[in-house]
Amino acid sequence: MNSSNPSSKAALFLLPAVLLSAVVFLLPFVWLVYTSFKTQGSGSLLLADGLTLKNYGRLLDDLYFVQAFGRTVWMSALATLLCLVIGLPVARLIATWSGRAKGLLLALMLVPLVSGALLPSLGMIHFLGPLGVVNGTLKMFGLIDTSIKFLGTTTGVILGMVQAFLPLMVLPLVNTLSRMPRDVEAAANSLGAAPVRVWLRVILPLAMPGIIAGSVLVFCAAFTSFVTPQVLGQGKIATFGTVAYQQAALVLDWPFASTLAVVVLVAIGLLLILTAQFNRLIARKRRIAS
Amino acid sequence: MRAQMTHRAMAAALAASIALPMTLSPVMAQDFKGKTLVVGVWGGDIERLLRQNVVGPLEAETGAKVELVLGGTGDRLARIYAEKANPTMDIAFLNIYEAPQALKDGVVEAPDPKSPLYTEIWDGMNDGCYAMSLVGLGIAYNKKLVPNAPEWADMWKPEYKGKIAVASYPGSEGDGLLGVAARLAGKDEHDADAAFAKVSELKPIALTYTNLDEAFAMMDAGEVAMAPMISGYVLSALKTHPDIGFSFPKNPGPVLVRDMLCLVKNSPNPELAKKFAELALGVKNQTDYAEQLYFGPTNKNVKLPENVSVDVIDTPDEVKGLLQMDWPYVITQRADWTQRWNKDVLGQ
Repeated sequence: MNSSNPSSKAALFLLPAVLLSAVVFLLPFVWLVYTSFKTQGSGSLLLADGLTLKNYGRLLDDLYFVQAFGRTVWMSALATLLCLVIGLPVARLIATWSGRAKGLLLALMLVPLVSGALLPSLGMIHFLGPLGVVNGTLKMFGLIDTSIKFLGTTTGVILGMVQAFLPLMVLPLVNTLSRMPRDVEAAANSLGAAPVRVWLRVILPLAMPGIIAGSVLVFCAAFTSFVTPQVLGQGKIATFGTVAYQQAALVLDWPFASTLAVVVLVAIGLLLILTAQFNRLIARKRRIAS
Repeated sequence: MRAQMTHRAMAAALAASIALPMTLSPVMAQDFKGKTLVVGVWGGDIERLLRQNVVGPLEAETGAKVELVLGGTGDRLARIYAEKANPTMDIAFLNIYEAPQALKDGVVEAPDPKSPLYTEIWDGMNDGCYAMSLVGLGIAYNKKLVPNAPEWADMWKPEYKGKIAVASYPGSEGDGLLGVAARLAGKDEHDADAAFAKVSELKPIALTYTNLDEAFAMMDAGEVAMAPMISGYVLSALKTHPDIGFSFPKNPGPVLVRDMLCLVKNSPNPELAKKFAELALGVKNQTDYAEQLYFGPTNKNVKLPENVSVDVIDTPDEVKGLLQMDWPYVITQRADWTQRWNKDVLGQ
């Protein structure tokens, strides 16, 4: 290697940042994995000597944790699908607008992302509660007599997830749709394609990179969320996040909580690998097609 | 004339406030200037009173800085255990069942029987750490749904089925409820089967709450009739919730719950920590705790006015009437009971 090579000089400048991330990001991660192979001594909260697979065995042994994992997967998948269905038209609207209106819409979209998880969840309590906006409106129009129970149900939690993570779907979609040439759509229209057909055959395939990116982001955020299921589920809907919180902060079984966290990280890692493979597949198909 | 006096008085006060630290500081502040005492404690009203009665005076007296790290006991326990070899926290406020465990694991200092901190507190209270305040698990109730102050057994009445809320488990409230339920079934907390069978009769649980506002909102909405809650905050919150009442049941009595002040073992600032503890456990702070937060004092020298004493657990005799659980046993069951609670009580 030639040290006068400009790229290796640049690499040298990057070294402090790389080292810093290694220390503050990777080391705790390694520690987390290590802790997941430890246990607490009997009658003690201190870590006992030796490494063991006991925590991983317990995870598979108790159906409760497997069920919580499965429940979290399907709730997150449903939330992702709802975000996609709601997010596509919104993203298209934002992408076709321009100037101040577009900026304002984008800013509104960003609000839930920057306001943290707790405030919107507490707001949702009043929105979905027995005396909340949704039930009040339905009652006002005589559509229901008794309040629909949203809080403490999976429906409520999924609605909360959609509210909290919709921006993660819309932003990548806006990005992809904005770059889509407008005349492609006009061409399809002029050749007599019905609007539905334009969406299915033109817009959706071209938006695919944004759809994949947005879906992965929403799914991961929903899968790892804790505040939304805790607050809107009223402690009655056990997701992987709330179970990990219970073990770490209340039971104080830190090794087992680490195991739960490692499982989530591995699952997300696998999902990302699969997505990368899928993206490569699409790219290859495109190349063949063109 | 009066205005003039006030001005003069204010000027004098101002002069005193400038002069006082100046006269004190050369002697005392030298040792502690530049030091920072780190204290892990709950936020809210407790933080407010500690800042007023402890942090302010301590900083003025010693020149040190006091950093309050706010959060639940789970946060600071994780920190003091993780930092056992090299602690950065000096004081951790824990609860009744965590303190003996922390002492056993060697992360906190054993209370010193010779220190005035120890002797000023009622006998038998410094279990694991120094006893800070006394509260009891009673029943918060919706006055419209429950006309009279309820006994424990009333929670099991058919008309309240599906209208009982509980705090998230594990915690003092849930464990206390298990202890009470076992006694109603003629057993005690050592018979977990009896305890869980009785608590499971309360199903479906209306709400598992993580904060009082959440529970009170549902109680005001009529969705929750009763919830086992710890006196103290609840009593002070009742002022803004006229339809909610709080009952100390008699059969069995309220479950005793205690906040503990723990000195972290090998902490960076042990002397400052002791000074902090003296002020926190002192008469002024504990009196304010009782008058404003309804937290019962542990200091023998605290004398409360009659109207405050009524709502507060403040004498050893009163403590005798409370239900004392076998916390060391309960804590060994924590992992198992959590799973039983999740499955049997919440039906997850």
